[in-house]
Amino acid sequence: MKRVLSLFFIAALGVLLLYVVASMPPMGDPQTPTATHVIPRYLERAEEETHTENVITGVILNYRGYDTMGEVTVIFCALAAVLAVLGRERRGRIRGFVDRSPVPSSTIVRTMVRFMVPFIILFSVYTILHGEISPGGGFQGGAIIGGSMIIFTTVFGLYESSRRIPQKVRAPLEGSAVIVFFLVGALGLVGGGNFLTYAWPHAARGLQPALVTWLTVLVEVGIGLGGAMVLISILFAMIREEEEIALTA
Amino acid sequence: METALNLTFIVLLVATALMAVWARDLLAAVIIFSVYSLIMALMWQRLQAPDLALTEAAVGAGVTTVLFVVTVFKTRRREEEE
Amino acid sequence: MRLLHNYHYAAAMALFCIGLYTVIVRRNIIKKLIGLNIMETSVFFFYISLGYLDGGVAPIHAGSADPARMVNPIPQALILTGIVVALSVTALALSMVILLYRQYGTLDVDRLMREEEPAAEGAAGEGEGGA
Repeated sequence: MKRVLSLFFIAALGVLLLYVVASMPPMGDPQTPTATHVIPRYLERAEEETHTENVITGVILNYRGYDTMGEVTVIFCALAAVLAVLGRERRGRIRGFVDRSPVPSSTIVRTMVRFMVPFIILFSVYTILHGEISPGGGFQGGAIIGGSMIIFTTVFGLYESSRRIPQKVRAPLEGSAVIVFFLVGALGLVGGGNFLTYAWPHAARGLQPALVTWLTVLVEVGIGLGGAMVLISILFAMIREEEEIALTA
Repeated sequence: METALNLTFIVLLVATALMAVWARDLLAAVIIFSVYSLIMALMWQRLQAPDLALTEAAVGAGVTTVLFVVTVFKTRRREEEE
Repeated sequence: MRLLHNYHYAAAMALFCIGLYTVIVRRNIIKKLIGLNIMETSVFFFYISLGYLDGGVAPIHAGSADPARMVNPIPQALILTGIVVALSVTALALSMVILLYRQYGTLDVDRLMREEEPAAEGAAGEGEGGA
C-alpha cells in the first residue's frame, strides 16, 4: 500500500518536473537569461580582477570567498562529528578490518601500489599548485591525495598507513583549510581592504598581481592539505576496529 | 554524433542508477554506484566542466565508494527480506 | 519538442525521481544513502547543464580562448563546493550507520523503528542468524 502510494506520488512529481522542463528555455542557447546577465562580466573581467586564468578558481576563492570559507568549515565540522561518533584510532596497537582479511593482497598489487602512490601524490601537488591556471585546485588535489592514501590503506592495512601519516601530523593539519582561509582574510584587513580581499589598496601598484597570485596559491595549498587530512582521518576512523566489535562484525 | 554520444551517456546513467537501486546485494549496489559516478564524471567533461570531472572522479568514484564499502563490510552485505 | 531538445534536464529529473523513490521506499539505510547520493548528483547535473553553451569551452583563459564562447562558471564553482559537502554528509551518515548497527544489529528501518530498547549483544547475534 505504502509502496503504491509513494510510486504514485513520485510519478506525479516526475510529470510535474517534466512539465517545467518542457517550458524552460532551450539548453545551450547563448540568449538564455543564465548566459546573458552576470556571466559576461565575470568572464571578461575575472582575469584582471582575480589574476587567475581559471575563472572557476577565481569565483571560488575570490568572488565567493565567504561561501567557500563556510564550506571549508562544514567539512571540518563533518570530521569533528565523525570523530565524535566513532572515535579516533588509538596510537598503540591499531587494526583495521582490512588487516585481518582472509586473502592477503598479492605481490603484484603491493608492488604496483607502492610504485604508484608517490606519482599520484605528485600529480595532486601539481593539481593544487596549478589550480589558478589549469583545471584543478585545493578540493580536487585534496581528494586525490585522500584517494591515494585510501589505496595504500586497503592494500597495506591501517597500521602501515598510519605509520606513514601519523596522528600527530594529521591532527594539526586538519584545520589548516579553515585557519589559512581566515588568516588570509584577516591579512586583507591588515592591508587596508575588506575581509577576504586579496588586493591590498595600500600596497604598491606593481606588487598587486604577484600578491594576489601568491595569496591564492597559499589558500589553495591550505585547502588541499586540510581536505586531504580530513578525508584520511574520516577513513581511519571508519576503518578502525575495536576489540569488542571484532567479535560480531 | 555529439547527440548520440550524449544520449549514450545519459542512457548509461539512468541504467546504472536503476541497477544500483534494484541490486539486492549491497556491495554490488555500491560498486554500480561508483560506475555511475565515473560516467557522471565523463558527462561533466563533455559539458566543459573539467574541474568538476576531476573532483567527481576522485570523490564520487573513489572516496565515497570506499566509505560505503567499509560500512557494508562492517555491517551486513545482504539486504534484509520483508 | 522542447522536451526533446532539453533531454539533459529530463534525464536529471528522471535521476532525481529514481533517487527519491529509493529514499522513500527501500528499507535498508545504506540503500537510502545511495538514493540520496543519486539525488544530489542529479541536482548537480541539472545545474551544470543549465550553464552549458552550444560549442562552448571550459572557462579557463588559456591561449586564445574567447570569453564569449565560455560556459557559465558560476554553477561549476557552486557545484564544486557542493560535491565536497555531499561527501562530508555521506561520511557522517555512514559513521552513524555503523554506530546504529553496533547498537541494534539491523539496518532495516522498519525493524529499527519497532526496536524499543537497545539490546546490543542479543540483537547482533539474532541479526547474524537472520542473514
